[in-house]
Amino acid sequence: MKKTAFILVLCIGLLLAWAAKDFPAWGDPQSPASSSPVASHFIANTGVDTEVPNMVTAVLADYRGFDTMFETVVVFIAGLAVFSILRGGPKSRTRDREFVVDFEPDLIVTNTVRLIVPVIQIFAFYVLAHGHVSPGGGFQGGVTMGASFILIALSWDLKTALARFPIERCFTVAALGIVIYAGIGLLSLFLGGEFLDYAHLAKIFPVSPEMARYHAMLGVEIGVGFTVTAIMFALYASLSTDGRMRDGL
Amino acid sequence: MKEWFAIIMGASLLVLMIPILYRIIVGPTGFDRILCANVIGTKTAVILVIIGTLFDRVDMFVDFAIAYALLNFVGAIVVSRYFNRTVPLQEMEKDKAKPRRRLKA
Amino acid sequence: MIDTLASAVLAEPVNSPGWFLVHAIGVSMGIVGLIFFLGTAVGVVRFPDFYTRMHAAGKGDTLSTMLMLTGFGLVMMEDFSANSWLLLLKILGIVLFIFITTPTSSHALMRAAFEDDEMPLGEEDLNKLRKRRAKSKSK
Repeated sequence: MKKTAFILVLCIGLLLAWAAKDFPAWGDPQSPASSSPVASHFIANTGVDTEVPNMVTAVLADYRGFDTMFETVVVFIAGLAVFSILRGGPKSRTRDREFVVDFEPDLIVTNTVRLIVPVIQIFAFYVLAHGHVSPGGGFQGGVTMGASFILIALSWDLKTALARFPIERCFTVAALGIVIYAGIGLLSLFLGGEFLDYAHLAKIFPVSPEMARYHAMLGVEIGVGFTVTAIMFALYASLSTDGRMRDGL
Repeated sequence: MKEWFAIIMGASLLVLMIPILYRIIVGPTGFDRILCANVIGTKTAVILVIIGTLFDRVDMFVDFAIAYALLNFVGAIVVSRYFNRTVPLQEMEKDKAKPRRRLKA
Repeated sequence: MIDTLASAVLAEPVNSPGWFLVHAIGVSMGIVGLIFFLGTAVGVVRFPDFYTRMHAAGKGDTLSTMLMLTGFGLVMMEDFSANSWLLLLKILGIVLFIFITTPTSSHALMRAAFEDDEMPLGEEDLNKLRKRRAKSKSK
């Protein structure tokens, strides 16, 4: 069985490698992705419309802001679903556990984590806020921030991490992230534009419409970062304990 | 010169990773496999800087390298905690007389 | 030597002798890192049990990564603008990060293996290995 699977995987891999020779060359200006009118429109206009050097961030948070908002909602719903399924399961699950957990925090690991967790969190803020210029943004910064809480839970125990970031607060913060995102959209709706049309925010803030879009994108990314951070940690806490929220990994 | 240095370093790193991959595939215990995967993960940070040199965007790839080194550390801690803290319940019942080995800190 | 380094700090052109010195230091650090990584690879394949392999992997891996990254940081420097200083600082940040975290993860893995009843090679196993080696040599 294992051999059949290996041969099958090998065949599919060779097929994909053979198909890869039909790809356009790297950086080819004549390739369909580069010559489509949408791409050339974004390349020509992001710098003028929004003053954001990183086009990916501009497309993600501004031109396709609606899409990203519902991606954030999907992340929130996923965390909520895992939490409620594991929490509300039959009580019998708690009895037949397959392993016991036997922990004692390690001196060297805890001290190293004490040293590097602040560094990780500052790096997460940097990734979040620097997404306009370099690769980064709300999702990446949120994951890095969530990893710092998971690291605390791993090196001490889940109780220590939950004392710093309780599970109820996780979902409050996650919902707050979506409220920030949708609130910026609604604010621009009330100021006379369309939903998530940030240029109209210039009417109440003392900036030009382009810079209003720039700063609104940062606000939106902060909302995404809140949601992703909280849901990452809530997912870890739920999955590592079968929803019991104690005696974790 | 910078490009050639990067290419030669990257190629020799990839060649030197083959013995470590061998240990991942053959390795008698699971710990050998994790250890060698961790070594390759650390070297990936170097390879990311090399790729950045070749694309002339080192400022960008350095951020990736930091994130990769961080996630590599988290992964190693996860695996070691998993093996350290969880004991299958049947084994626990079987050798209750023999206490687990403890490394006192 | 100090004079040439100072001329690198003050002089603008990239191909001044001070720059050559900086780049040569960077390249040689990268090569020394590769030699240490060769040691890691050989040790990981040839050592007999987990703890000795961990010794090779933990030490050689940390030092070779640090040396290679520092070498790359030096090779990357071409002027003294704020950008290249920032790049060097970031690379040194990764070096510091790896200096702290890789030994810690080695320690965590070692402790997990020890408490999971992974035994180091004892006297009998070593004798067996010695016998096997003598047999293969006599052949």
